[in-house]
Amino acid sequence: MAASSSRAQVLSLYRRLLKESRSFPSYNYRTYALRRVRDAFRENRSVEDPKALEQLLNKARDSLAIIQRQVSIGKMYETQRTVVEPEPKNL
Amino acid sequence: MAARILARCVRSLNPRLAVLSRSHVAALSSAPLGRSRSLCLRARGHSGHRPALTQIQYSSPLVSQLRQYGDLPPLTIDSIRDRVLYVLKLYDKINPEKLQVSSHFMKDLGLDSLDQVEIIMAMEDEFGFEIPDAEAEKLMTPEEIVQYIADKKDVYE
Repeated sequence: MAASSSRAQVLSLYRRLLKESRSFPSYNYRTYALRRVRDAFRENRSVEDPKALEQLLNKARDSLAIIQRQVSIGKMYETQRTVVEPEPKNL
Repeated sequence: MAARILARCVRSLNPRLAVLSRSHVAALSSAPLGRSRSLCLRARGHSGHRPALTQIQYSSPLVSQLRQYGDLPPLTIDSIRDRVLYVLKLYDKINPEKLQVSSHFMKDLGLDSLDQVEIIMAMEDEFGFEIPDAEAEKLMTPEEIVQYIADKKDVYE
């Protein structure tokens, strides 16, 4: 990662993507999104080229927008919990 | 209902206990009936040697238990440390045998900055509050996390 500012950006995007992905109501989308975000960031961990880095950051921002939209849509059409999911915690 | 029964029960046992303020009884009434009955039995057991009112209010373990109501048990440095280490042990990239309170996530445990972000998120889930990015990136050992949470939750030794 080139500059320390882009490093902070990457980490902040990673955090926001994971947080947003966690709120998918559907088990399948949720686990897929979490796995995909983790894998994508690990896959590109050694990218140094600023141009490629910028492209990847933009892709991540777009994905974040998509995830946010899909989470809200998913919440409108919530279905039953699948049997593999644990009971939601009572907070 | 439970409050009335409790009040009558307590008053009939001991005239000194009748001083037990109405508000105190009302507060206890939110406890389920089973618990208030056991409190009655307890009071009856004590009535032989007439305990001071303060003794009932503060030294009885049952009363202090009821007083927490829906609140969680208070945090201590030790309980925070146990919970932090428990969360870390469950994280699949950490070898539980290598984990020490002072071990550095990157130098000692071989994690990267992405793992560290996930650890902080797990801590947020465990303790139920947000840790801002700027402070999260400084937390590199279990000890620092414990200290940070203790500061935020006003827990002192």
